[in-house]
Amino acid sequence: MTLAKLVWSFIRRRPLTWGFNVLTLGTGVAVVLALVLVSQAITNRFERDLAGIDLVIGAKGSPLQIVLAAVFQMDTPTGNIKLSQARAFAQNALVAQAIPVSMGDNVHEARIVGTTPAYAALYGATLAQGRFWTKPMETVVGASVARRLGMRPGQVFIGAHGLSGSADLHRHTPYTVVGVLKPTGAVIDRLVITDVASVWRVHEYIDPNDHDEDAPDPSKPHEREVTALLVKYRSAMGALMLPRQVSAIPDLQAASPAIETARLFSLLGVGADVLRGVGAAILGLAAIGFFIALFGAVSQRRRDLALLRALGAHPSLLLGVVALEGALMGLAGGVLGWLGGRGLSLFAAHASQVAASGPTLIPPPLGLPDFVAIAASLVLALVASIGPAIIAGRTDPARELSGG
Amino acid sequence: MLVIEDLAAGRGQRAVARLRTLRLEQGEAALLLGPSGAGKTTLLLAIAGLARPFAGSASIDDVRVLDLKGAALDRFRGRHIGFIFQDIHLISGLTTLDNILLSPFAAGVPQDRAEAASLLARLGLADKASRPADRLSRGEAQRVAIARAMLMSPKVILADEPTASLDDAAADTVASLLLDAAAETGAALLIATHDQRLRRRIPRQVEIEVLS
Repeated sequence: MTLAKLVWSFIRRRPLTWGFNVLTLGTGVAVVLALVLVSQAITNRFERDLAGIDLVIGAKGSPLQIVLAAVFQMDTPTGNIKLSQARAFAQNALVAQAIPVSMGDNVHEARIVGTTPAYAALYGATLAQGRFWTKPMETVVGASVARRLGMRPGQVFIGAHGLSGSADLHRHTPYTVVGVLKPTGAVIDRLVITDVASVWRVHEYIDPNDHDEDAPDPSKPHEREVTALLVKYRSAMGALMLPRQVSAIPDLQAASPAIETARLFSLLGVGADVLRGVGAAILGLAAIGFFIALFGAVSQRRRDLALLRALGAHPSLLLGVVALEGALMGLAGGVLGWLGGRGLSLFAAHASQVAASGPTLIPPPLGLPDFVAIAASLVLALVASIGPAIIAGRTDPARELSGG
Repeated sequence: MLVIEDLAAGRGQRAVARLRTLRLEQGEAALLLGPSGAGKTTLLLAIAGLARPFAGSASIDDVRVLDLKGAALDRFRGRHIGFIFQDIHLISGLTTLDNILLSPFAAGVPQDRAEAASLLARLGLADKASRPADRLSRGEAQRVAIARAMLMSPKVILADEPTASLDDAAADTVASLLLDAAAETGAALLIATHDQRLRRRIPRQVEIEVLS
């Protein structure tokens, strides 16, 4: 005969009440935990993609759009900037590193980005197979693109105009795969990178049969362009001076990825706050449910509790019986909610992988949130059991036993 | 040895019954008589320290129950007083054996499963040890309740209307079991009842005084 056996016999007598309350608590914990895990995964994802880029210089437009397009590869660019302007900033004394990015084409939804090998170094991406490009039209493929499209060094593919879709193929200028990158968990995994000059070559080709309006006019001298420049400052002075120097040039826009990301999060945050509120409300209901269940249990078992007193139990045993019942059910709800929350975050990660061109989310490894989810359920249950436990401890055996 | 002197007990602020004097040696049995609802149960609870007496005293082996308080009173009750309730009162989710072991469990003393099992066997319940208590017949449950009161070898066994709603044969069996239990454990046995059948078996009888 043990305390656990006694408490279990009490729990088993009310399977529906406890089943419902454990489910409610589990649901609340699952919603809140999933929210924490997913937002942590999104934050990690964005931070990895930021990779210490201090400033993005792009064509005039929304700074948020520039950052989304040039850093996270999720939006269309605001336009292009002149190569001469990009070169001037790259040589600026305030700039430690400047990496050009040129977007415009895709292969089966994977963006083809013209850049320099320094872009791969930014994300610590190393080669799994092959080599980096040595001339235009040679490409290095990110890990998820290679896996999805089955690309290997030596393969040849044709890019399609635009950042998605494949209506308008550049059949005249095929690309060759020369290398495949190892996975990094960052944006580069879902890109095809190539030399900046490849993008120029694809778009400067003039199809004799094409009378497209936006085709370059061979009669005018054409200035080469890039989409944006990813800049790292040499010192803190860069943050003060460089954005001002950029905005002094009429066609250019400077965007700070850190600031824009924070702005984006504050927009997403509203939705997250609503969900968090819903989760907290469910947890509140669960706490009330636990209180009611334990209160009912105590009233239903007055005579059992009085019997224990008659057999010599101290009131603290009665208190412990009720607290342990609450704690066990709280733990059950916590574990259920933990499994649910982990399940939901895996589902979110899976859904993000199905959308091939979008960023993939990786739920964070087991850590503090998991521990807190279970511990908080236990605490919530114990708090809800304080009142009923005290009532149980005050059971008056004479009153309960003399009624018969 | 149980000694009672002028013990008055009641519910709330009102004393309802008094027992003038009673002295029971080891293994002796007596009936506590009085009309139904007159306060017999309340007097039993007062002897066990579960209801505060209004006056007088109850002593078990020269320890005045009235003088004990809190944890000491609980401990004393758990070790030295066996209680058999009118409605038997087993905990339904537990097995027969665990219901008997509730006594040492509640009293906070080591549990001897082997001893509890052999006690069940002596009461003819060997095959019921692992059966859930709610699947016992009334007669079996009554024997389990007696076993639970005996297990700790108490100095006093208090039984409240143990034969109520039993037929003659069953009442006779329960009376024998209780007398055997008292003889075996050396306990003083006090049975609150208004059952005429028990009066034929147990000659020592005390009448309670009903206080209005």
